[in-house]
Amino acid sequence: MLFSYLLATGVTTGALYALVAVGLVICYRTTGHINFAHGELFMVGGYIAFSMHVLMHVPYVYALILAVVSSGLLGLICDRAVFRPLISAPPMAMVIATVALSFLLRGAARVIWGGLGEYVPFPPIVDPSPISFWGIAIFPQQLIVVASVAVCMLFITLFFRSTRVGKTMKAVAESPRASYLVGIKVEKVYALTWMLSAALAAVSAVLMAPLTQLTPDIGFGLLLKAFAATILGGLGSMPGAVVGGLVVGICESFSAGYISSSLQEVMAFIIIMAVLIVRPTGLFGAPSAREV
Amino acid sequence: MAAGVLLIALVPLFLSPYYIFVANLILIYIILAIGLNIVLGYAGQLSFSNGAIFGIGAYATGLLRLDYGCPYWLALPLGTLTATVLGILVALPALRLKGHYLALASIAFAQSTIWILVHWDGLTHGTSGFVLEPVEFSLIGLKSHAGMLYLSLAAAIVCVVMASNILQSPVGRAFVAIRESEHAASALAIDLTRYKIYAYGISSLYAGVAGGLFVGVVGAVVPDQFGLFQIVLQFCMVFVGGVGSLWGSVVGAVLIISSQELMRGFQQYQEFGFGVLLLVIILFFPSGIVGFLKLRVGGWQEPLRHYFKARG
Repeated sequence: MLFSYLLATGVTTGALYALVAVGLVICYRTTGHINFAHGELFMVGGYIAFSMHVLMHVPYVYALILAVVSSGLLGLICDRAVFRPLISAPPMAMVIATVALSFLLRGAARVIWGGLGEYVPFPPIVDPSPISFWGIAIFPQQLIVVASVAVCMLFITLFFRSTRVGKTMKAVAESPRASYLVGIKVEKVYALTWMLSAALAAVSAVLMAPLTQLTPDIGFGLLLKAFAATILGGLGSMPGAVVGGLVVGICESFSAGYISSSLQEVMAFIIIMAVLIVRPTGLFGAPSAREV
Repeated sequence: MAAGVLLIALVPLFLSPYYIFVANLILIYIILAIGLNIVLGYAGQLSFSNGAIFGIGAYATGLLRLDYGCPYWLALPLGTLTATVLGILVALPALRLKGHYLALASIAFAQSTIWILVHWDGLTHGTSGFVLEPVEFSLIGLKSHAGMLYLSLAAAIVCVVMASNILQSPVGRAFVAIRESEHAASALAIDLTRYKIYAYGISSLYAGVAGGLFVGVVGAVVPDQFGLFQIVLQFCMVFVGGVGSLWGSVVGAVLIISSQELMRGFQQYQEFGFGVLLLVIILFFPSGIVGFLKLRVGGWQEPLRHYFKARG
């Protein structure tokens, strides 16, 4: 019984980690940079949905759409202000700039939405009592989360496989210079990438908010979990990120259930360090070419 | 010169305790910023572990005094040693990582250090931290804060001189070579592993000393002080001063700590403010104050990270 409960919880949180991780991977593949402010984009998306849904009583679905759109716009602003000027700088500049951006966003959220350590409750959108499948208790919210994540993944796969824009993004990921030569507007593709990834972060925030509580600090912890997922799956691999996210979620919930609940917070760090030390390319990543 | 030194040496006797405290903090952060700059600005390793090593130094020194009855003069070197050894041990697996991977691994290490400080109650006194008696300096006729100020001043001077000597020696040049290109450096027969360990070791030593002094000055320690904000503060110092400039770190530490103290009333805007500051520096003044001065002062010989600005 405990086993099935933990598995259901792990798969749900894991699916959300996977969605956040896919946002990171999309950015990394196309631009070659990691966005350390991705967790804060998630947090801001969650707070926007909270303001809409709880404070202004906008229905949940509209709140979701509005949060996704405004997060996309925030991604566009970040692209203009931070990412575009630094796109060809060495990774160090971008890493520190995005860490700075994450502090800026977190500080802003603290000023706007409340003080240190204040948790904001987000009401459940469906009946919170569990339903039983063959003796396994599952919360309806969990089903909604897993189903929505699956839909998002399907959408992303189709986007990259069959739309022109998605193919353009893949081309830029392959070689920005060659894409430029065949007439692709590389800067626009980058801007679109950051927007798409910010919007995905908002989707996962809105899905996760009813399961947990919002705090301005939620972003960074979540970012590290998504990192654990991407690193585990191999940086830059989309299916790897999904598998990694599920593994991280399940590891967390089992270690919390069977060993100690405080282990849940540190599981992601253990995974990151272990993978980087033992197999830095992750489970699905190819060994990187030598850079000179 | 001698009169000037004497004058400076007598100043602590007349300052109010608050200014002594701020001066102490500035000296401690000068040590920290130089340590970070050696690993980040000179050796070019993007490591976020400095804040955690600082915390380990502070905790080791404080706990040796509190729970094991060590006097401060013994606890400080032992605490520094602990931090240095742990810093090097942690660096060993990180040696094969660079760029994004190193940043990630060191953030994971820093966050798990905080987790250990919070959860290992038996050793670290948990979330609420601990409070120490002021360090005793009555033997040489000084109050605790003034005594600490002399100690920090001596430590800071030793650290600056030592860093300046190291950075002008073949070791320092090897750091810069590694930063500019690892492949070129190893082609010049520079042992990458050895010099990276040196860089991490020196910066851990500096962070450890700073931690030991910090616990002596502040007297109360909680895990939160050594979190990510700590490292962002240190990054601000290094970047405001100039990445890859020894004196830049000194200037950066003085400016950042003074501005933090001046804006004590606006603490809720602190994260926002330093985030904006760091971003503006990276976007518009990537080589910091020293980089700006270098354009105007001839003959400034420092291996600044000049290619830091975006190209094309």
